[in-house]
Amino acid sequence: MQPASRIMEGADEAPLLSLRAITKTYGAVEALKGVDIDVHAGEVLAICGDNGAGKSSLIRIVSGAQEPTGGTIALRGEPIRLRSPQDALQRGVATIYQDLALAPRLSIAQNVFLGSELTRPVLGLPFARLLDKRRMAEEARGYLQRLAIDVADMTTPVERLSGGQRQAVAIGRALRWDAELIIMDEPTAALGVKETAQVLDLIRRLRAEGRTVILISHNMADVVSVATRVVILKSGRKVTEEPTVGLDADTLAHMVMTGKKP
Amino acid sequence: MRHFLSTYGTALAGLAIVIFFAVATPAFATPGNLSIILKETSFLAILALGFALALMTAELDLSIAEVASLAAVITGALVHAGQPVWIAVAAGLGAGLLCGVANGLAVTSLRVPSLIATLGTAAVAKGLAFMITQGVAFVGRWPTGFTGLARGSLLGVPNLVWWLVGVAATIFVFVNWTRAGSHLVATGEAEEAARLAGIRTARMKRLGLGLSGLLAGGTAVLLAASVSSAAPNMAGDHFLYAIAAVLLGMTMFTPGKPNVIGTLVAAFTLKALGNGLILLGAAYYVQDIVLGLIIVGSVALSAAAMRRAAFVKKLSFRT
Ligand SMILES: Nc1ncnc2c1ncn2[C@@H]1O[C@H](COP(=O)(O)OP(=O)(O)O)[C@@H](O)[C@H]1O
Ligand SMILES: [Mg+2]
Repeated sequence: MQPASRIMEGADEAPLLSLRAITKTYGAVEALKGVDIDVHAGEVLAICGDNGAGKSSLIRIVSGAQEPTGGTIALRGEPIRLRSPQDALQRGVATIYQDLALAPRLSIAQNVFLGSELTRPVLGLPFARLLDKRRMAEEARGYLQRLAIDVADMTTPVERLSGGQRQAVAIGRALRWDAELIIMDEPTAALGVKETAQVLDLIRRLRAEGRTVILISHNMADVVSVATRVVILKSGRKVTEEPTVGLDADTLAHMVMTGKKP
Repeated sequence: MRHFLSTYGTALAGLAIVIFFAVATPAFATPGNLSIILKETSFLAILALGFALALMTAELDLSIAEVASLAAVITGALVHAGQPVWIAVAAGLGAGLLCGVANGLAVTSLRVPSLIATLGTAAVAKGLAFMITQGVAFVGRWPTGFTGLARGSLLGVPNLVWWLVGVAATIFVFVNWTRAGSHLVATGEAEEAARLAGIRTARMKRLGLGLSGLLAGGTAVLLAASVSSAAPNMAGDHFLYAIAAVLLGMTMFTPGKPNVIGTLVAAFTLKALGNGLILLGAAYYVQDIVLGLIIVGSVALSAAAMRRAAFVKKLSFRT
């Protein structure tokens, strides 16, 4: 049976991201034992599984942070190698590494444009370019507004923001790259109820913009509320792949534990 | 008010010290004495700005004084031997840059912590400086084309001060207004985040340490030109002063972060303090004691700003 979203998106269109027979070994440990996953444009795909199931390994491969031991990756039907996070970013795949990816004492604008700052020519000289701080602040504000986050001052250091706002800054950087596929690893872990709701709302907004999201989460309530489809990994293998329509958190938790529907 | 004090408190304290000396000793606020303080500040601040650039990438350069001494000796030897001034100057700058690049490579390629790598470089530089001079200083009637780099004045302002203004302005624009400068700062602020954002953090560390060496070389050239001699330990006294200037500077303007303006204000304050103490008849060793207290006190003050960052990090989520 084909997943529902596949039918919705149209079967002849190549998936946005297609993983085939992905394996990853760390010495004697086989973290991934041949995983096939298709990610379709516009969906929010949740990847669930117990600790040690291989979720993070898979995400590091898709984000360019590490290369798989075996298997192939195709983006829009085209086989690719992702050599670095930067490489992935340039192909429109952005990964949000939570606080690891933010510089706490730098401003919102500096964080959104970290590594890809905007410059303007000075005195009409082509080689002398200085930072265009005003434009970076304006555009950073625009990205946050698209995510319905209202912060007055783009020079505020990220350390002074709430967890949800920080998540928005990290997503803002993905928007700055106009990333088509945004990967989030446990974005709501350790967030309060209100901030979690804010982050789930951010994900819905990304989807409404037509972006594709891969979400790693331990929180089954989050998954059923925001994901369109779920893939369950167990000991390095994909054991289940289901649309979330009609699933509730308890059923999903049962599936993660046993690998099948009750 | 608290924000005002944490941002400008130590700068105001410096101002208070200057006013105190101006009132306490008539010899302090004379044009001649102020000019001496400004010239001393120039050597110190140029050297300290190098240390600050390395520190911005979260690396310590403990070799600045020995590297400056080595560069001064190399420059002095060439001037002494009658070589053209530009060759002597280029050799001094080059020697500093080379030591800085060596530090950078040791840190990024050999993965030696900068604390250790720069101590090693310091020892090597010290040994080389004694080897070149065989323990005696180069002293002589050096061409004014060389000594004039540090001695003359332009529009009533000492050349040394012009050098400082030029160097400091260049570094200020570089750090605050260029992409490379913001990559340098981001490397020190959050190395992992910078790397994930595609910033070449190893290159930035080599740049910070390399510039630190280059500025040590620049300080050396000016020092040698100013006293028309070169001795193998001539920059030694500037070491603690430079570190104190950067750390005290970190308590000002952008608390907890090495910064150009703070370093300048702190360098002037420290030199005014040292000068004033001597004018008041304090023994020479009092300066060292005061300097030590300022170093520890500065870090204790800005530790609050640094702790704040770490504190937030601890509270926030991680996989
Ligand atoms: N860098 C690594 N070195 C060695 N083993 C690793 C490494 N990363 C993950 N593993 C192992 O691979 C397996 C899968 O881990 P991981 O991908 O982190 O799973 P998950 O994110 O689902 O908890 C685990 O057995 C883990 O111990
Ligand atoms: Mg994990």
